[in-house]
Amino acid sequence: MIPSAAVTTVLLAALQLIVFVLFAPFLTATIRLTKARLQSRRGPGLLQPYRDLAKWWGKLPLESNASGPVARYAPPVVLGAILTAALLVPEATSRAPLLGWGDLLVVVGLFATARFVLALSALDAGGAFGGMGSSRDVAISALAEPGLVLALAGAALAAGSSDLGIISAFGIKQGIGLLGPAHLLAAAAFAIVIVAETGHHPVDNPDTHLELTMIHEGMLIEASGRSLATLVFASELKLVVLAAVFSAAFFPFGGATEIAPGPIALGLLLGLGKMLIVGQGLALLDASIAKARIMTLPDLLGLASLLAIAGLGIQVLLP
Amino acid sequence: MTVTPDSGVVGVLLPIFWLAAVVALLLAAAVAFAPRLRPLSPILSTAGSALALALGCVLIASGASLSGSAFHVLALSTVAFHYDGLSGVFLVAFGLSSAAASLSIVGEQARSRPEEAAYPLFLASIVFVLGASTAFSFLLAWESMALLSAFLIVGLRPTRAVVSATNLYLAMTQVATAAILAGFAILAARSGGQLDFASWHIAAPGLGPISRNIALALLCIGFATKAGAMPFHVWLPRAHPVAPSHVSAVMSGAMIKTGIYGLVRLVVDVVGGCPDWLALTILGIGVVSAVMGVLYALMQHDIKRLLAFHSIENIGIILIGLGSALLLQAHGATELAALALTAALFHSINHAVFKSLLFLGAGAVVRATGLHDLNHLGGLGRKMPATMLAFGVGAAAISGLPPLNGFASEWLTFQGLFGAAGTAGIEPLARFAAALAIGGLALTTALAVACFVKATGVTFLGLPRTAAASNASETTRPAVVAMSLLAVTCLGLGLAAGPVSSALRAVARVAFHDGPPLVTVAAVSAEPQSSNVAIYAALSVGLLLAAAIGIIAIASWARARARVRRVDTWTCGIAPKPAFQYTATSYAKPIRLFFRRILVAEREVSVEYHPGTSFPSSVRYRSEITLLFEERVLKPAHRLSLRAANVARKLQGGAIQLYIAYMVLAVLVLLWWAR
Repeated sequence: MIPSAAVTTVLLAALQLIVFVLFAPFLTATIRLTKARLQSRRGPGLLQPYRDLAKWWGKLPLESNASGPVARYAPPVVLGAILTAALLVPEATSRAPLLGWGDLLVVVGLFATARFVLALSALDAGGAFGGMGSSRDVAISALAEPGLVLALAGAALAAGSSDLGIISAFGIKQGIGLLGPAHLLAAAAFAIVIVAETGHHPVDNPDTHLELTMIHEGMLIEASGRSLATLVFASELKLVVLAAVFSAAFFPFGGATEIAPGPIALGLLLGLGKMLIVGQGLALLDASIAKARIMTLPDLLGLASLLAIAGLGIQVLLP
Repeated sequence: MTVTPDSGVVGVLLPIFWLAAVVALLLAAAVAFAPRLRPLSPILSTAGSALALALGCVLIASGASLSGSAFHVLALSTVAFHYDGLSGVFLVAFGLSSAAASLSIVGEQARSRPEEAAYPLFLASIVFVLGASTAFSFLLAWESMALLSAFLIVGLRPTRAVVSATNLYLAMTQVATAAILAGFAILAARSGGQLDFASWHIAAPGLGPISRNIALALLCIGFATKAGAMPFHVWLPRAHPVAPSHVSAVMSGAMIKTGIYGLVRLVVDVVGGCPDWLALTILGIGVVSAVMGVLYALMQHDIKRLLAFHSIENIGIILIGLGSALLLQAHGATELAALALTAALFHSINHAVFKSLLFLGAGAVVRATGLHDLNHLGGLGRKMPATMLAFGVGAAAISGLPPLNGFASEWLTFQGLFGAAGTAGIEPLARFAAALAIGGLALTTALAVACFVKATGVTFLGLPRTAAASNASETTRPAVVAMSLLAVTCLGLGLAAGPVSSALRAVARVAFHDGPPLVTVAAVSAEPQSSNVAIYAALSVGLLLAAAIGIIAIASWARARARVRRVDTWTCGIAPKPAFQYTATSYAKPIRLFFRRILVAEREVSVEYHPGTSFPSSVRYRSEITLLFEERVLKPAHRLSLRAANVARKLQGGAIQLYIAYMVLAVLVLLWWAR
C-alpha cells in the first residue's frame, strides 16, 4: 500500500523532528567526550547534556533589571526558527520531510532569523558581555555567509535547483562521480563555515567561561532557567541541522530514494553516522589547535569564500 | 481618458481612482493656505496616497491600462499619460510609503505653509512621473519632483549644512536630467522626431548599435543617479538625513524608486533589453551599491544617515535583480528573465514599505529625544514599546529574514542569479560574474543583519545613555498607527509572497513583451531548469514558524512567568552603568577592522589640559569613515573642474571688443558650417 503524500509528509516530519531533537544533545556529548579524551581527561558522560538541559529547565529564572520582553521571548523564536529549518533538510531520505516548502536559501534565512533575534536579545540587559558577544557573532557570521551560500550555490548549480532534496537526489544518482574538484572545493568551504557557525576552534571556544573570550556563550550570559535551556538546545540543534545540510548537499550517499521502511532506516543510520563524523572532526579541531585571534578570522573565512569561488569557477568556466 | 481593455468595473474604477487621487493631493496643497482647513492637509494627502495605492493594485490585478492626454499644443509637445501594470507596481510602492508618511503627520503642522503645500504637490508629481508617456510630460513631472523635493529638504530657514546638501542634490539631479534628456533626444531622433514612448518602442529595433548603446548608457546614468546607486549616490546620504522624517520616508520609499521605474520603463519596456555589457554593468553597480551601501551604513551612528546608506544597499539589491533579468533576456531565457525582474519589482515595493517604516521610527525617536546619534540613545523600548515593535519588524524585514517580505524578494533575486549562472546560453564569464554576485548578495544580507541588530539594539534596548533618552515618551498616535500598518504590511506581503509574486510576474512578462502571463500559483517558485523547481512556500513556512515559536513560548513562560527573580546585569560584580554597554561605534568595530582596507577611519583626538599641569581637562574624540569614492574620485574631479573653470574664465576678459570678436568668430564658423 502506498501512503498518500500528506501522510508521508507528516510521518517523515515527525520522525525527523524526534530523531533530531533526541540526537542533538548526544552529538554535543560525543564532541565533548572525544575532546576530553584527546586532552587526557575522563570527560563528562554521554548523558550530561541531557542532564544539563533538564536541570536548567527546572531552575528559577533570573532576569536582569534592565531587560524586557525581547530577552524573554527571544529564546522561543531562536529555537522555533531552527526547528523549522530542521524540517526543510533531507536526512534519511533524499527528500526533505516538508517537500516543496523551502529550499536551501530558506534554511539559511531561518538561521539568519535565529541569529538576528539572539544577537538582539543579547543587547537587552545592557551589559558589556552581551554586546561583545553579539557584536562579534554578527561580524563573524557576516564573513561566513558568502562562503556558506557560495558553497551551496555550487551544489545547486550542479543539480540545477536550489532545492536541497533535488540536490541530494542528484548526488545519489551521480554516485562517486559527484566528487569532482569543484564539488570537493565547495565541500571544504562549507566545512570551514560549519566550524564558524557552530562556534568551535579556531573561531570560538564552546567551553570557555571567561567573559572576554566568549562569542556565542557571551550572548547567553544573562539567560537562565528555561531561556538558557532553550538557547543551548537551539545551538546543539543548529549543529545537527548544519551537519545534515552538509551531508545532503555534498555527501548524500546512502540516503533513501524511495519511501519504504527499510531504506529509510538505513538512510537514517547512515545520516546519523555522518553527523557523528562531522562532530568528531570538530572535536579534533577543538583539541588540536588553539582559538585564533579574532582579527585573523577574515583570513580563515575569506579562505572559505575563495574555495567556494574556485569551485564555482571550475564548474562554470571549465565545464 | 481611456481604459484598455475597457471591461466592466475596472473601466470605471481606474479613472475614478486616478482623478480622486490627483484631486485629493491638489486639494491638500490648496488647504494648506486656508487658515481653518490647514489640519485637513495631511488627511487629504493620506487619502490621495491611499487612492494611488488602490489605483496601482487595480492596474496590477486587472492587467488593464489607463491613458489620456491634454494640451495638444502643436503635434510635438503633448502632455499625455499611460498607466499600466508597471506603473501600478511603483504606484503601490509610492502609495504604501506616502500614505503612511502622510498619516504620521496628521495633527502636526509643517515648518511653514509653503512647505505644507509643497509636500502634497511633491506626492502628486511622483504620481505624474509614473504615468507620463511622452518625453515632455515625463521631464515636466520629473523636474517638478526634483525641485519640490529639494524645497522640502531645504525649507524656508535652512542651516548652512542643509543648504550645501540641497545644492549637491540639485546639482546631481540636474546632471541626471541632462543625461536622460540626451538619451531621450537620441531615441526621438531615431524615431523620426516622435516624442512618445510608444513610437520609440516601435522604432527601437531599428536603432543602430552605436546610438542604441549611447542612449542606453545615458539613460542608465540618469536614472541610476536618481536611484542613488553607486557611484552616483553622493547626494543621497546627505539629503535624506536633513529632510523632515516623513519627507525622508517618501524620498527613500518612493522617490528614488522612480529611478528604478525609469530604468525598467525605458530599458526593458521601450528599448526592449540591452546588450550584455550593460546588463553586467548594472549587475556590477548593484553588487557594489549593495555591499558598500551596507558597509557604510554599519559605520554610521546618525540614525537617519544609517538608513540613507541602507537605501543605497537596497537599490543595489533591486539592480542585481534588474541586471540579471536583462542578462537573461538578452540570451532568450525569458521565463527566468521575468522571474528576475519580478524580484526587482517585488523588492521595490518591499523596500518602500520597510524603509518608510524605519524612517518613521527614526522620526519618532528624534521627536521623542531630539537626538540623531545612536550613541546617545538606549533603552527607548521601555518608553516607546509600540515604536520599538514596529521598528523591530521593519529591521527584521530589511535584513531579509523569513517570513517577512524582504526575504521573499531577496529569495527571488537569488533565484534570478542562480538562473543566470546556470543558463547554458550565456557566456561563461558572465555566468561566473552572476555566481560571484550570489556571494555579494549573501554578504550584503548578513551585514544587514549586523547593522539592524545594532540600530535596533542600541536605540531601544539596554540602559539609556543620556537624560534625553531616559525622558523619552511614546510618539503621536497617528504615527504609531502609520508604523503599525506598515509593520503589518511587511508581514502580510511576506506571507502572501506567492500570490504577490505571481501578480508581479505577470507585469514583468508584459514589460518584456512576452505574451500572456502565466497562471498564478500559491507559492513563490522558480524554475532554474524546466524540470526542477525550487519553492518557497511562504505562508506554510510562516505558519509553521509561528506554531513552533508559540509552543515553545507557552512551554517556557506559561507557568514559570510568575516566578522570576530580578537581578542586576552581570558586570563582574560592580553596579551596572550605561557606559558599560556597547555603543553603535563599538558594535560595528569588528566589522570595521575586518574590512579595514575599504573602511578607512579618520580619527581626531584632542586633549586639553588644566593650565600648567598634565591633568587633562577635556578629551575630544571624533572618528569618521572616509568615503573612498568621494575622497579619491569626486574631490579630485571637483578640484580639476575648478581649475578648468579658472582657465576658462580668462575667456571672459570683460572688454567689449573681445565679445564682438567672439561673435564674429561664431558667425564665421556658422557660415563655414552651413556653406
